[in-house]
Amino acid sequence: MVDTETFVPEATAEIEDEIGDANAVIALSGGVDSSVAAALAYESIGDQLTPVYVDTGLMRKGETDQIRETFDYMDSLRIVDAKDRFLEALEGVVDPEKKREIIGEQFIREFEREAKDADADYLVQGTIYPDRIESEGGIKSHHNVGGLPDVVDFDGIVEPVRDLYKDEVREVARHLDLDELVAERMPFPGPGLAVRVIGEVTEEKLEVARDACHVVEEELEEYEPWQALAAVIGKATGVKGDNRVHGWVVSVRSVESRDGMTARAQEIDWETLQRIQSRITGQNENVARVVYDVTHKPPATIEYE
Amino acid sequence: MTKIVVVDNHGQFTHLERRALRDLGVETELIDNDTPPEDIDADGVVLSGGPDMDRTGKSADYLTADVPVLGICLGMQLIADELGGRVDSGDYGGYADVTVELTDEDDPLTGSLHPETRVWASHADEVVELPDGFERTATSDVCGIEAISDTDRDLYGVQWHPEVAHTAEGDVIFENFRDICEAN
Repeated sequence: MVDTETFVPEATAEIEDEIGDANAVIALSGGVDSSVAAALAYESIGDQLTPVYVDTGLMRKGETDQIRETFDYMDSLRIVDAKDRFLEALEGVVDPEKKREIIGEQFIREFEREAKDADADYLVQGTIYPDRIESEGGIKSHHNVGGLPDVVDFDGIVEPVRDLYKDEVREVARHLDLDELVAERMPFPGPGLAVRVIGEVTEEKLEVARDACHVVEEELEEYEPWQALAAVIGKATGVKGDNRVHGWVVSVRSVESRDGMTARAQEIDWETLQRIQSRITGQNENVARVVYDVTHKPPATIEYE
Repeated sequence: MTKIVVVDNHGQFTHLERRALRDLGVETELIDNDTPPEDIDADGVVLSGGPDMDRTGKSADYLTADVPVLGICLGMQLIADELGGRVDSGDYGGYADVTVELTDEDDPLTGSLHPETRVWASHADEVVELPDGFERTATSDVCGIEAISDTDRDLYGVQWHPEVAHTAEGDVIFENFRDICEAN
């Protein structure tokens, strides 16, 4: 386990050493990795760092406001509202890999503009140790390491948490007194709610996924899941108030894990499951049924796409 | 300091094997599987899991490098395949929660977990015939040969993943392997 007492001063000294008087940017996702990397870099070089948060329109309920609040102390913080551009780029796309690719490319376009505008020479990234291995091994293209450096000619890339594992990054976050919500926040995938709606990303499906995820996170808090989520997985028949509906099927998933590499589906009591079902179908007239996913990882993954 | 390297066969958990060894306090490093054994100075070698026997590089060369070897998942299948045993697709894939029965109390790698342990697995193929000189040291309902040992040559294999957090006593396998390397 990382020794935060020595790690933090060493990391900030190293950042200062590398960046000196130059300018740097970091893409804040709201996740713990980039938040910790940003906090370390900001402590080290202050407003020479421009943290950029892109609101893709694929964020969870209240997420953007929470970021604004947590990082309010960074005067250089930029929040970019890019919702319309992302949704337009995703129109008609159903293939999961293609969706990821389009989101990645759009993200790079948004970030490139901000990086040039901030006159940044260095890129700070929240890459953690497993990201490096997964990218090198070719298992999946990782959001943190993919793409960006190819389009912006940075003098250098600084990755202050590159040797840490997720649970260790959380230790550092706690040590830095980062808002508990960030330190303990559930992992959220880079492509956001886009991977929690199967098939084409539409505003209607996003709204269902956003509301259902919120319900699930609230109702399952006492189970302390590593990750809890809801996904819109298809359509099915239902009957509401004597009317037949052909509505969305929402799948609820809640897992415990140390590092996301393996996960166990949690055993949730019937009453809680029923309350989740009732809230999701009650608040969303276009939802016909709610199911609970009992599959561990492996063989399933935690997210749906 | 004892040094145990991890030969990376592109498994998704490979980095957790490095972590388990690091947390145990031994010196460790991830090694590209195209690295020849003569370039490595180590007291023991872990052959990681991975998706495909055709992408195991020079892993097989480590079996004759005169240091203890622990093969994990595909790494164990490679040991069997290379030394005259047989690997085939199982009747029933092993995924997630599996209860493993340890059949040899005296085995230096797995014996201390006797009589049984809960593990996390992820495999479609399995070892169906032991290579010469090997004993089966563990079994389960979903897979006949869950672990193998050749204590003369210090070659060991486990079909499950001791490195992942959901395997209950995974650390014990790495501790026992460290002891084997230190005794060698």
